[in-house]
Amino acid sequence: MTEFRSTWLLGASVTIAIIFLPILLFVRLDSTAAADPWDNVVPTVAPTDHSALLTGPFADGPAVTEACLECHTDAGEQMKHNVHWTWESEPLLLPGREETVTVGKKNQINNFCIGIQGNWASCTRCHAGYGWEDASFDFSDETHIDCLACHADANLYAKGTAGEPVEEVDLVAVAQSVGRPDRQNCGSCHFNGGGGNAVKHGDLDESLYFPDETVDVHMGRHDFQCVDCHTTQDHQISGHMISVSPLANDTLSCQNCHESDLHEDERITSHVATVACQTCHIPEGAARDATKVEWDWSTAGQDLPEDPHVYLKIKGNFVYEHNLVPTYAWFNGNADRYIVGDEINPEQPTNLTEPLGSITDQNAQIWPFKVHSALQPYDTVYNYLLIPRTAGDGGFWEEFDWEQAFLLNQNDTGLAYSGSHDFAPTEMYWTLTHMVRPKEMALQCNDCHGETGRMDWEALGYYGDPLTWGGRVQQFGLSAANQTEGGEE
Amino acid sequence: MKRFNPRWIRWVAGLAIFFGGWQILAAKEDNPPPPVSGSPIHPTFPLLDENGENVLSSGQNVSATKTCGSCHDSEFISTHSFHADAGLSQMGPPGSVANGRDWDTSPGSFGRWNPLEYRYLSPNSDPIIDLTTAEWIQTFARHPGGGPAEFNREAQLLGLNSSGQPNQTNVENSIVNPDTGQLELWDWNASGTVEMNCFLCHVPDANNEARVTALASGDFDGATTATLLDTALLSNSESGWVWNQEAFDDNGHLLQEFVTLQDPTSASCGHCHGTVHADLATPLTLNSYTAADYSTQTTGQLVSPQRISESGLNLSGKGDLARSFDVHAERVLSCTDCHYSLNNPVYFQEADQQRPDHLIFDPRRIDLGEYLYRPLHQFAKGSSAQSILASGLNNTQRQCESCHTTKNTHEWLPFKDQHTTSLSCESCHVPELFAPAVETVDWTVLQTNGEPLISYRGLAEDGATQFSAAALLNGYEPILLPREAADGHTELAPFNLLTAWYWVYGDPARPVPLRYLEAAWLDGSTYPAEILTAFDTDQNGRLSSAELILDSDNKVDLLTRRLAAQGLENPRITGDIQPFSVSHNVTSGEWATRDCQTCHADESRLTQPFPVAGYTPGGVLPVPRPVDGLIWGDGLITTDDGSLFWSPPTAAAGFYIIGHDAVGFIDSLGAFAFLGVIAGIFVHGGLRVLSSRQQVKKQRGTVRHVYMYDVYARLWHWLQSTAILLLLLTGLIIHRPTLFAAFSFPLVVQVHNVLAAILVINAAMAFFYHLASGEIQQYLPQPRGFFNQAAEQAIYYLRGIFRGDPHPVEKTRARKLNPLQQITYLAILNVLLPLQIITGALMWGVQQWSDLAIRFGGLPFLAPFHTLIAWLFASFTVLHVYLTTTGHTPTAAMRAMMIGWDQVEVRHLEPEADATSPVGD
Repeated sequence: MTEFRSTWLLGASVTIAIIFLPILLFVRLDSTAAADPWDNVVPTVAPTDHSALLTGPFADGPAVTEACLECHTDAGEQMKHNVHWTWESEPLLLPGREETVTVGKKNQINNFCIGIQGNWASCTRCHAGYGWEDASFDFSDETHIDCLACHADANLYAKGTAGEPVEEVDLVAVAQSVGRPDRQNCGSCHFNGGGGNAVKHGDLDESLYFPDETVDVHMGRHDFQCVDCHTTQDHQISGHMISVSPLANDTLSCQNCHESDLHEDERITSHVATVACQTCHIPEGAARDATKVEWDWSTAGQDLPEDPHVYLKIKGNFVYEHNLVPTYAWFNGNADRYIVGDEINPEQPTNLTEPLGSITDQNAQIWPFKVHSALQPYDTVYNYLLIPRTAGDGGFWEEFDWEQAFLLNQNDTGLAYSGSHDFAPTEMYWTLTHMVRPKEMALQCNDCHGETGRMDWEALGYYGDPLTWGGRVQQFGLSAANQTEGGEE
Repeated sequence: MKRFNPRWIRWVAGLAIFFGGWQILAAKEDNPPPPVSGSPIHPTFPLLDENGENVLSSGQNVSATKTCGSCHDSEFISTHSFHADAGLSQMGPPGSVANGRDWDTSPGSFGRWNPLEYRYLSPNSDPIIDLTTAEWIQTFARHPGGGPAEFNREAQLLGLNSSGQPNQTNVENSIVNPDTGQLELWDWNASGTVEMNCFLCHVPDANNEARVTALASGDFDGATTATLLDTALLSNSESGWVWNQEAFDDNGHLLQEFVTLQDPTSASCGHCHGTVHADLATPLTLNSYTAADYSTQTTGQLVSPQRISESGLNLSGKGDLARSFDVHAERVLSCTDCHYSLNNPVYFQEADQQRPDHLIFDPRRIDLGEYLYRPLHQFAKGSSAQSILASGLNNTQRQCESCHTTKNTHEWLPFKDQHTTSLSCESCHVPELFAPAVETVDWTVLQTNGEPLISYRGLAEDGATQFSAAALLNGYEPILLPREAADGHTELAPFNLLTAWYWVYGDPARPVPLRYLEAAWLDGSTYPAEILTAFDTDQNGRLSSAELILDSDNKVDLLTRRLAAQGLENPRITGDIQPFSVSHNVTSGEWATRDCQTCHADESRLTQPFPVAGYTPGGVLPVPRPVDGLIWGDGLITTDDGSLFWSPPTAAAGFYIIGHDAVGFIDSLGAFAFLGVIAGIFVHGGLRVLSSRQQVKKQRGTVRHVYMYDVYARLWHWLQSTAILLLLLTGLIIHRPTLFAAFSFPLVVQVHNVLAAILVINAAMAFFYHLASGEIQQYLPQPRGFFNQAAEQAIYYLRGIFRGDPHPVEKTRARKLNPLQQITYLAILNVLLPLQIITGALMWGVQQWSDLAIRFGGLPFLAPFHTLIAWLFASFTVLHVYLTTTGHTPTAAMRAMMIGWDQVEVRHLEPEADATSPVGD
């Protein structure tokens, strides 16, 4: 009987193998499973409940930090290399310069509220530390790192002058609420950059607290948190670009999760080497809340009717824009940076953050930017941009006296004031990289190409619309190879 | 603004024209709005009147042909343009137009009647005149001028006869007095004629409405000037046209920035041909159709790059339609990219038939200067069912295949070539149209506004006669009808069917002129009492669209009487169905029809009856209009509720849709054979069981173990049986995919093909084995005593087996098969198997060697044949398995085929040397 069984089992398997091997070999399935972006999303680990671990009482912020550091012994040292604490980069060699410089909120300016020097107590509300109120702040003191700003329940916590917790905060409750940073932790500062909601970035504002998918497909459709993309190892947060990180050399990109060649349409795939994902998938900036696109400091100090979106006596005139069509420029991930003290030509707009790259730069892609234009004070003798004392003692926001604001700040900024100032045009380029829309809302061919296209092809270095004139490969004979991966950051 | 040096200009000019890129360059200038930016290429020029004088000084209407004629050969242009000619040059007596109606006099709009515009351009010989030339110009403003708007049917200027003298009152020199119906002289000197209007298409902001108004008012000479109204050049005042002096230099030439001439854009074509919406920022809405929306109204096609989901259409399920209306518009093509001038040196390509075989491309062509001097205004066209003008230019436009290849993109599609031969690209790539398209036009009745009843398809409300921006749309799938393609083969292509009913009179027939129809139906703008009495069923004094229907003999008689009373002879209702080709609104593969079971299922998209009308006015069934190469079949279906459908004649046109089509008698026959065998087995088997109970076990002969089947014999047998079984199963699924919807159709088709290959290879190897080993002899009946033995065997199965008789033919190693088996296997292996392999291979081969397959009758013959043999195979398999149970014991034969050793009764005790070992192999 066993003989019978073994014979027919063998026979059956041989027969089945002969039948099915060719079928498996020759029958093609239509859908080849595409790479799943979710494979690259690190699942959220449930936070440890700290309510039993942090019982307090805590006299002040640093007391909480000391408690944190008891267990998280490396965290302090890690945070000392985190720009949320340093507000300053490592020394960088920017293009065209012989000496390295450091760049950060600590020592450089923007064309919004200009600079923190002399105005620390007000600006450092958003510093991940306690007590930065003047130049003497000790960055080596780990206990002054503010763990709570990022890790506590943002509903229970608020920071005031010099980054100290405001009086009403119950530090014990706050400390016990710590966990993984959520959108509110990041948003309470980053959504309010420039002095209020939606002012600065054009792609980061409070609409991202509860976005629907037409604002941000990742957050709205898939309920992402900021840190799902801005993955963090040892308190080193990935993803930074341009203004305070001109030479970012970053590792965060769409391709961390998405394949570069995921488009079924070859026409679109052929764009990937030249056009950043963001360009098509972020068709407009400021999807919900209007963002500031112009700031004229020269009109500040007058007694005009006030409207926070039009004119404020302390700040001057503004223009806000909603659903703004981005400015497009080549960008290879690096940017030039105006360094405090650099000479300017007041006749022409000075670009404080100029994206680097050009049509002939194989690592550059066309990126969408929000451009913020301003008229801001400069010294007409020394021809450099000035950093006024604004929120600080005796500053412009109290006295409305520009002369005093510059004179008072000479020591804090190291910028001598000649006694004569005027206002010069400046620009800042801000990459639009958040608020990615669903693919159904991505740009279509006609948005850029054809008669009504939004691209200024000649400004980008093309002879004309590459649809008919050919792209940069044809124009410059660039090799098409090596482009798909380049220039993402 | 950038300054071009002369060489640069020449260089740019050459390239820009080469790429048809005027408009792109024009758009490049980023001067702030007022006025418009000029073309960097086109030289400046003065605007001239018909006498060649500058209009600034003469104050006359501008003449485009004189103005443009300074540099371009405008006479050549207007005399080489079917747009201008509109059929004038092919005019003949009524009824002389191939595939035209009985009263059509030309293939163009000047002479070809259509049921949407209704008015009939009467020939001179008609006693009752509907439209004269002058009124045709006033009414058919979609005509761009030139042709019949300048010249009469004797090729003289309008207003002159063949000897150049002012003419008598006739249809070309007169207009019908609507009150008396009499011809009255039309003053051509006062009205002027309509020259071909260059500005209409070549000026970006041409004012078509002003042009149409000028034409309608009889100001023919002023139509060209009106086209420029409200551009930066011209405004209107009470005292007449006012030219913008700022736009001209001291010499009266236009300033460069006002020279905005362009290659015609899609919007230019949209002035007359249909809805064009190029603006991405403004959601597209549809409110109602005007004459300028003709192609949209008749087909539902519209040209827009906009995503349907982002349009303003009130379309059900719109949110999921995140694709553009027209992928070519989305990909920044304009109409002229396909419908180009036929001597445009960039696009022009000789037709295959005219080109010598050794050439793919002829680089000798006219140079750009020659082209610009005499740009042929005959435009490349396809061969739509609705347009029969300039049929000599049919398919001059490049086909889908001229730009696209299915290579690399359709590899997912099983039987790719078969599909692409049987289906036009549009069949799958224009799956649905979203703008409402006319389904029926009913001129047998008249609304108080003088309009017929028109019903639309694509509206959610069934049979809706009106639509507005608020109406809910749901789109419609065009009907697929077989039609001869450009290369002569017949393929399915999408159409809308427009059914029209209208009154005709006389013999030969003429459509009843609108004024007669109005007199029959209306008293001014109300219905007369007689009509209301007959039609107003709810007696509210008004006729709703539901009441406005000729649904009884009384009503038909009433109208017949009222028409006849006006002197119309034998007024009667006629109806016809005009197909309109759908070839625009193509979508990309992701959105195209690609689910196999859309067509390969019981409810096949290809054979679904297409709604034609919800009712039949006067009970008159519409007649399909003949169209070159179109196969109508006999598809008109009337349902119980009076609705009409057209059933696509796919089978009649020679299409066999696997999974949908099945020949009834084949399946019946096959099923009969199959079920018959099963029934027989039950009877026979049942009797065997009964008889075995009743009889005492007889002493049987010695049972011996015989090594009956060697390894290979068993392997090929089981391979073959597995393959056949799986082929039958997969074949059944392919044959009836709707019954087995759980299986993936394309997957099963592929598995079936692979199994077939295995079967053929296995059969070939087994054949070789039988030849080489001599086993073939087993199958060859020995002539001597064959019939006797066969009869004996048959009798055994019918009688002996129930009595427990021994087998009449001894099964031995040397002779495994009894005579019945021999003859059966011979038939199976020599007839059924080869036939099945051949028909199957040919069916597979419609892809590879379609000519061969067609020579053997194509799928309509091969597929049912293949099905029939499959049924026979199925029957044989069942019978074969049953007969294996008739051995020594019911499972003995099966077991033998598995392990090789059989138990056979031995009557003759001669030992068989090779087969007595009880040991297996």
